[in-house]
Amino acid sequence: MATGVDQAVGLSLVVFSLLLFTYYSVWVIVLPFVDNDHLLHKYFLPREYSVILPGVAAVILLLCIGAFTAVIMWKNRKPKKVD
Amino acid sequence: MTKLLEWLLGVSVVAAVWALVSFDLLDLSLPQTYREVAWPMPPYLLVSFGCYSLATVGYRLATFNDCDEAAKELLEQIQEAKVDLKKRGLKM
Repeated sequence: MATGVDQAVGLSLVVFSLLLFTYYSVWVIVLPFVDNDHLLHKYFLPREYSVILPGVAAVILLLCIGAFTAVIMWKNRKPKKVD
Repeated sequence: MTKLLEWLLGVSVVAAVWALVSFDLLDLSLPQTYREVAWPMPPYLLVSFGCYSLATVGYRLATFNDCDEAAKELLEQIQEAKVDLKKRGLKM
């Protein structure tokens, strides 16, 4: 079996993705079929955010990837030799 | 038909169905709740695919076995290789 930290990190990833999937599924699929005065709506933002928040997260992810790539390429630049 | 064409065809069929349901292009007057469920489908599918990928990575990270014998064998082979290469004159 994988040891210590590996198991903990792996398990936390699985739990986090399950929670995220369940919350998002309820938000997108279950909530429209639930009456507007039900208590459940208290725990969820307005439905527009169910599209805006993943969009913002995707933009941030792309920014991070771009920044990381830029930093790595900057560190590896070799000055041109002058003959 | 190439795989690319097959995928593009499949994706465009799904996209057309989604657009028809979400924006009521054929004026089918579907119940409002079904339209409300359909229109976030593209980001929903992306998020669920992301969750599935994350869960798979996490699960395989947690269950990946250490191979102690293979590690020891590898270290021995590295030692042998070092000795052998030193004999042949490679400076380390």
